[in-house]
Amino acid sequence: MSRGAGAVWRASRAAVRRRGAQTFVLGVVVFCSTVAIVVALGLLESVSAPFERAFEGRRGAHVVASYDPAEVTAARLGARAPGVEAAAGPFAQAVVTVAGTSEHLPPGPLTVVGRPSPGGPVDRVDLWAGRWPAGEGEIVLDRPGADRFFSYLLGVRFAVREGHTFTVVGLASSVSRSAEAWVTPGQAAALGPSTAQMLYRLDAAATDADVRAGTAALTAGLPSGALLGWQSYLTVKRDAGRTAAAFLPFLTAFGVLGLVVAVLIVANVVSGAVVAGSRHIGVLKALGFTPNQVVAVYLTMVLVPALAGGALGTAAGAVAARPLLDDVGAGVFTVSIGPWVYAATLAGMPAVAVLAALVPALRAHRLPAARAIGAGVPAAPGRGARVQRLLAGAPLPRAVSLGLGLPFGRPGRAGLTLAAVVLGAATVTLAAGLSLTMTAYGQAAQRTGSVHTVVHAGQARNHQTPPRHGDAEIEALLRGLPGAVYVTADAWIGLHLTGRSQPITGRFLRGDSATLGETVVEGRWLRGPGEVVAPSAFLDKRGLAVGDRLSLSLGRARAETTIVGATMDGAADLIQADWRTLTALAPDQRATQYEVRLAPGADTGTYHAAVRAADPGLYPVPKSGTDPVTVAVIGFASLLTVLLGTVAALGVFNTVLLDARERRRDLGVLKSIGMTPRQVTVMMVTSMAALGAAGGLLGLPVGVAAHRLVVPAMADAAGLALPEFMVDVWRAPLLVPLPVAGVVIAVLGALVPARSAARLTIAAVLRDE
Amino acid sequence: MDTRDERLVVRLGDVRKEYGATTALDGLSLRVRAGEAVAVMGPSGCGKSTLLNLIAGLDRPTAGTVEVDGQELGALNETGLALFRRRRVGMIFQFFNLIEDLPALDNAALAAQLTGTPARQARDRALELFDELGIAERANAYPAALSGGERQRVAVARALMNRPALLLADEPTGALDSRSGEQVMDLLIDLNQIGQTLLIVTHDPGLAARCASRRVELRDGQVVAEQSLDRTP
Ligand SMILES: Nc1ncnc2c1ncn2[C@@H]1O[C@H](COP(=O)(O)OP(=O)(O)OP(=O)(O)O)[C@@H](O)[C@H]1O
Ligand SMILES: [Mg+2]
Repeated sequence: MSRGAGAVWRASRAAVRRRGAQTFVLGVVVFCSTVAIVVALGLLESVSAPFERAFEGRRGAHVVASYDPAEVTAARLGARAPGVEAAAGPFAQAVVTVAGTSEHLPPGPLTVVGRPSPGGPVDRVDLWAGRWPAGEGEIVLDRPGADRFFSYLLGVRFAVREGHTFTVVGLASSVSRSAEAWVTPGQAAALGPSTAQMLYRLDAAATDADVRAGTAALTAGLPSGALLGWQSYLTVKRDAGRTAAAFLPFLTAFGVLGLVVAVLIVANVVSGAVVAGSRHIGVLKALGFTPNQVVAVYLTMVLVPALAGGALGTAAGAVAARPLLDDVGAGVFTVSIGPWVYAATLAGMPAVAVLAALVPALRAHRLPAARAIGAGVPAAPGRGARVQRLLAGAPLPRAVSLGLGLPFGRPGRAGLTLAAVVLGAATVTLAAGLSLTMTAYGQAAQRTGSVHTVVHAGQARNHQTPPRHGDAEIEALLRGLPGAVYVTADAWIGLHLTGRSQPITGRFLRGDSATLGETVVEGRWLRGPGEVVAPSAFLDKRGLAVGDRLSLSLGRARAETTIVGATMDGAADLIQADWRTLTALAPDQRATQYEVRLAPGADTGTYHAAVRAADPGLYPVPKSGTDPVTVAVIGFASLLTVLLGTVAALGVFNTVLLDARERRRDLGVLKSIGMTPRQVTVMMVTSMAALGAAGGLLGLPVGVAAHRLVVPAMADAAGLALPEFMVDVWRAPLLVPLPVAGVVIAVLGALVPARSAARLTIAAVLRDE
Repeated sequence: MDTRDERLVVRLGDVRKEYGATTALDGLSLRVRAGEAVAVMGPSGCGKSTLLNLIAGLDRPTAGTVEVDGQELGALNETGLALFRRRRVGMIFQFFNLIEDLPALDNAALAAQLTGTPARQARDRALELFDELGIAERANAYPAALSGGERQRVAVARALMNRPALLLADEPTGALDSRSGEQVMDLLIDLNQIGQTLLIVTHDPGLAARCASRRVELRDGQVVAEQSLDRTP
């Protein structure tokens, strides 16, 4: 037995050494695939439950409870309670009212909690800008940190009706939404009538019932009025992360694609290697290797590069995946790559390789030695012969027609090569398509380049300077300042649909509204009065469709309108209409803000200064430009596309390399009967270019079809209607390079062995037998 | 001025061939006249295949001159050698060396097509040869479906397609059973009878005696004996 194992090992080692180039390429393919899979699995894990990940990562509070300090002591609250995994607090909590004097903060109630630090056993607040309050008058506001848009709030001072003034020293966000702002505990106590906030993590909190039961247990021994109110994390979860969520389906699609393609390519390359070795299998059998030993030789031969590639790929993935995903994840998801990912690739890649090798190896196992020696060689004249005969008579140089005909002689082997090319072409097509769709979506959602500045009119009730100019004058003024290209005035008004009680918001537009960059998914944009456009979410919620009539009410006034278009937006209670529609409802309404698009290259700061100088009652705010989340997500998609493309190209290259190497003896024979080195190269290249072109042409529609299938399904899952132009991203100039790329890769794969064979002395090639 | 019969088809002058430290041919000279059938014999490793490969232009000598059918091979580049092989020599191998992916007839026709013969004409010529060699009914089979003897006859047909000045055979019966071997040998004798110049490598003294007009004995890359056989061309 041990002697048998030794022979198997020696034969495998010899096979690995003899096929050095192939073993190396196989290792590289496994390596790249493994990196892609680590990234893909990490991505899938991170996006599968972004809220849960963020929540667990920050040890979010399952229950945020407010107690009446008069009814229950701090000591009692701090005592261990049954069913509680961890608790924090009590923290003094007060509600203050922001005075309308700040131009940056909305007036109204603000829930403030006194906490000594952002950390602790529960609800670790993410302090993403500035620092934690250290003394009187300092406050941290709760704002999402995704694109750092709210950074401008740092240093802002504002007053509250209760008679305090605060300076914003930091910006933070809490996954538990435990407060709107934080101050020092001492400051909180000084803010007057306060409640006591407790943050709990429960042992069991999977369902609403669990959370309710847990909360009941907490308050079991307390006076009935002690618990003033509580909030479950499940409520927070339900309305968390709307815009970011729209990207998740795309990223999921990418993750799954990366996984599937990497596995398929490894399988293809491995089985190609084994099929190529079937002759060798026959020889081994003839030498007296048992069928099982032959299978063992082949599995070992494949395992060596698979283990090496898998291990190195996992290591590289471990190093690269986290920073890569971190970049994308900012604001969309929290990166989480569990050890299972590494375990899966370490054990999985060799397993995939072995499985892929097993099928053809087992076939060889069953073959009698004599047939294995000739395996893959055609024995009966069939369709292949007919095609070859046709080609032989075709008015083409014989080297070309021979190259075109050769693959038909051995359809099995040609099939594997073709499959590799089809897979590669389809992958690159689909990945590029996803990338294009995501780019289109990101730009549309961000309305990139449409509006650069929003100018608010000062309002006396907010203690702002009212503008000196009238509504129409302001519009004209803004339009006249250097740099402005388009100006749209708009007013946001609370309305009702006639006969319905739920309020909706109407946004009425005047000026260059068509340049706002709103994406219409169905119907068209506004052209005049009596028309509205609404997000598809609005229509779905009310069972309406484009073309339906809509009656708007404001007080006693009414306006009859028609829905002419659906926009790509998640807002379920918003409609947009032309200013003249508003005139019918509220004739004296002024615009509340003006949206300005600047000329390319115009400086926002210069324009703002001009606005302020022209009328101190105008307050320009720069619009957050390209969203870093979108940029990161798209950059990542491109990167994954390149990674998958590389893996696919390597797979094709390897398969072609094998195919061409297989034909080395044929090349020697052809040279011995008088083929010139040039003709030999032409023949090989023609042969593989034909397969490459066929594969590219087949793979292209497969990729496009997959894209057309995946994208709407994903958008659907996200409850998003995508306009046709985001699905139909394919343009001829984009499509042409893909089959060309297939041909180029195939040709490169053919050129290397063809040229080396052309250089080899024929005597040496023929001696190989 | 050679008479037709005195024309030299092969002239090797002091040819050396080294593979690294191995000397395969060690200053070998050899002449083959048109119409001759020369059998090259000798123990394994003495350089027989090397000699044949040099004459066929499949390899180049380390030193010395190789002239075939009036053409000095050393003067040719790779492409020139290919054109030379196309028209001047035909070669038969011990293991046939057919293209497995092409049917038998196409394997043969290919040789003519490389010289620019149109497909139809090339096929007709191949079929003619197949007929003479007795394998016409196997024309559409792939090599894998043919017996060893049949494969070797396809290889002979391929070698003869362009009416070469010289037919080279490296142990053409080595992989065949004795009956098929005999048939192939008979074929070569017939060809020589109608004027085909032959250079055959063989281990079998009996076969050599039957088909060759001259026997050349190699040892360690040198000609050690030459013997005209009692067989007039
Ligand atoms: N490509 C090569 N590389 C290295 N050595 C070679 C090569 N070709 C031939 N040789 C060596 O040259 C010598 C002559 O080889 P050759 O094949 O001509 O012998 P042979 O007479 O045909 O033998 P056999 O009867 O076994 O076929 C041998 O020692 C062989 O090992
Ligand atoms: Mg030999």
